[in-house]
Amino acid sequence: MAAPNFNSERHVKYYLRCLKTFLPSAYTSSDSNRMLLAYLTLGGLDVLGVLHSKTTPEERQGYIDWLYHCQVPSGGFRGFPGTDFGDERRTSENEAWDPANIPATFFALVNLLMLGDDLSRVKRKECLEWLPKLQRADGSFGETIGAGGAIEGNRDLRYCCCASGIRYMLRGPYGQGVEEVKDIDVSRLISFIEQCQNYDGGMGESPFRESHSGHTYCAVGSLHFLRRGTDKSRSSPLLCPGSKSFESLVHWLASRQTNKLLGEGDQDELDDDDIEEEEAAAEEEDMIKGEEETPESVVGTQSHRQKERPVDEGHQEVKSTLNSTEDEIRDLSYLTPESSEGTACAGFNGRCNKLADTCYSFWNGAALTMLDRYSVIDDVRNRQYLLGKTQHLVGGFGKGVGDSPDLLHSYFGLVSLAFQGEEGLTRVEPALVATDRTVAHLESLPWWSSTADKVEISEI
Amino acid sequence: MAGTYAADPEWADVSPIELNDGSESGAMPLATIAYPSDYLEATSYLRAVMAANEMSERALKLTKDVISMNPAHYTVWIYRAKILFALDKDLLEELEWLNGVSLKYLKNYQIWHHRQVLISSKKHFPTMPTKEPDFLMEMFTQDSKNYHVWTYRHWLVRHFKLWDSPREIHDVEALIQSDVYNNSAWNHRYMLRFGPRDDQPDAGMINAGDSSVSPEEKGRLTVVDEDLVDAELKFAQKQILRAPENRSSWWYARGVLRAASRGLEEWEEFAGRFVDGEQTKSSHAVEWLADVYAEGEKAKAVKMFTMLKEKYDPIRKNFWDYRIRQMGVVA
Repeated sequence: MAAPNFNSERHVKYYLRCLKTFLPSAYTSSDSNRMLLAYLTLGGLDVLGVLHSKTTPEERQGYIDWLYHCQVPSGGFRGFPGTDFGDERRTSENEAWDPANIPATFFALVNLLMLGDDLSRVKRKECLEWLPKLQRADGSFGETIGAGGAIEGNRDLRYCCCASGIRYMLRGPYGQGVEEVKDIDVSRLISFIEQCQNYDGGMGESPFRESHSGHTYCAVGSLHFLRRGTDKSRSSPLLCPGSKSFESLVHWLASRQTNKLLGEGDQDELDDDDIEEEEAAAEEEDMIKGEEETPESVVGTQSHRQKERPVDEGHQEVKSTLNSTEDEIRDLSYLTPESSEGTACAGFNGRCNKLADTCYSFWNGAALTMLDRYSVIDDVRNRQYLLGKTQHLVGGFGKGVGDSPDLLHSYFGLVSLAFQGEEGLTRVEPALVATDRTVAHLESLPWWSSTADKVEISEI
Repeated sequence: MAGTYAADPEWADVSPIELNDGSESGAMPLATIAYPSDYLEATSYLRAVMAANEMSERALKLTKDVISMNPAHYTVWIYRAKILFALDKDLLEELEWLNGVSLKYLKNYQIWHHRQVLISSKKHFPTMPTKEPDFLMEMFTQDSKNYHVWTYRHWLVRHFKLWDSPREIHDVEALIQSDVYNNSAWNHRYMLRFGPRDDQPDAGMINAGDSSVSPEEKGRLTVVDEDLVDAELKFAQKQILRAPENRSSWWYARGVLRAASRGLEEWEEFAGRFVDGEQTKSSHAVEWLADVYAEGEKAKAVKMFTMLKEKYDPIRKNFWDYRIRQMGVVA
């Protein structure tokens, strides 16, 4: 197969269109995730290296002002302006309906950094005071604070990761200027994350839930933020090469690479017309839910597909129960070795026995990058998959083969290529999922420079 | 805006609060959406009733309308739940409505969380609503691996202590029977068999969160029911024979052995029957043998890893090389 090209110019055009024109009304069902959509748009332009050259200083200032417009008076950010009924009407009774939101706050901070803002208008102290209020006794985090101080939202690694990221950005390595603010319980959080490691080595949304690449990313991302933050008192075996937890996690992540691709050659086999419609709807939702919802973004019809195109092609089920196990194994046929043509493209799935989808090249790759084990996967086959199969002619990436581009898959397709050093893309830090330039900007903020021992940071 | 609500006498006393997207104060909104006018109107009334913290029938109806246009709205669901409890509404009726919404928006997480919030009410649901398993199976006919639905079902098991409920086991077996590759069903089975059963919040793999326990001990049961373990291993073998290349069943077996503190070598003979020289009937059997040999017979392990990287699993060539190098480091 010829090496496909990375078409930087078209991707830039795609992103500028998303930035500067209205998203179609189908995005209404994603209204609550506008902060995330903004992150995917700005992030795409930043990775392509044009965020600051293709926007004017006035535009960037206007965007920054909008981001601050989404800041809640009591600290933290809302996911969209739609819950804002006005500061003058805000009371202790109704503020639960316009709360700061954990993922939105994480994305808002990264957005501000990407745009070059110095976070001086961020209610830093209030935001850090809010964080521990969202932490449950088991160490996990919720999404928002509801009526009467209730912690709302699932017990879920996504919120843990965003909370760790907020703490990392706003507390910095020394907690300078916020020494008196109560910190989250880091040790409990690490315990919760460790409990989410499943019997197959991957991580689920919460303890004993099915291993999932999105949640695995969130688990590793949380630990990554925590080890770089202020409290280094407890490290997790999940980050220690050689430990069972670490090696089984790497094994699980490596097992996600597959040449069974979503959207390839299976469309015609569907016998149910409704399925494609559902799929389109699911994709639309998926696109907008992004990190908040993407871990679950696997299209709902894959099981149908797999039934029709079983992984063990050529092998018929052994029905008889009378035979001994020995006899039954003897009756099985030998596998044909994999051909090089059949395995030239290999993307990643997000769960065992599912099909490859663009965003999982990112979730798995980012987790492996943070574990310093990216080399266990096949970057050439991943590149062939992304550029040859899901990169779209008009720019951007689709979820599966032949799909239209959307913001989420476009960003994660680009970032996956950036991890592999694709020419024309800026290097990306895997936990903030922001360029080195953006990270350097964060580290230039006042609370990052300290008289404290700096050797410590460079070692991390 | 002359919309449905503006023309409705029931809403005459409410002053809608328009969307403030910041542009009036000079901000440039990001991720702007071409909102339909009915969405803009409904949400402007929603902001008004939320600001008034209104607990009323009309507000309840309004939340339904907003949910139909934006089911991912994260406070409208919490608001709706609060009104339902405040007005002491019939929650079974709410569940009926939710069933339809769930089938329509398969990928929505808020819907399932809302369901959990309702059913958490011990006052309303001292026991599980009888139709719950039927509805979940209906969801699984749409998507048998739907992560939200499985998360909810997991919660349901713990909340109503259903680990040994015949229906629970029956449903999981039926799902594995109809699609042996359904890893979600395998995972649920593992939770039913080996998950913690006390009243403590879900504690993960046994001992996993206890920092005083060494990493090697984590995931191991303190009391092992050997009959249960043997039965599960037998079940896994039976399913492997149906589909030898199915990673789910092989990894289930690894999980079972781990919970019982039993080693992979217990299946050396079973896995060995799939492999003959350079030929194999399952790449996972080769992997199994490699892991058994890696403990002592390094040369044999390298041979297995090499078979995987060269013939049966070339996509993971770099990983198998990593495993080979690791043995070198240890040796």
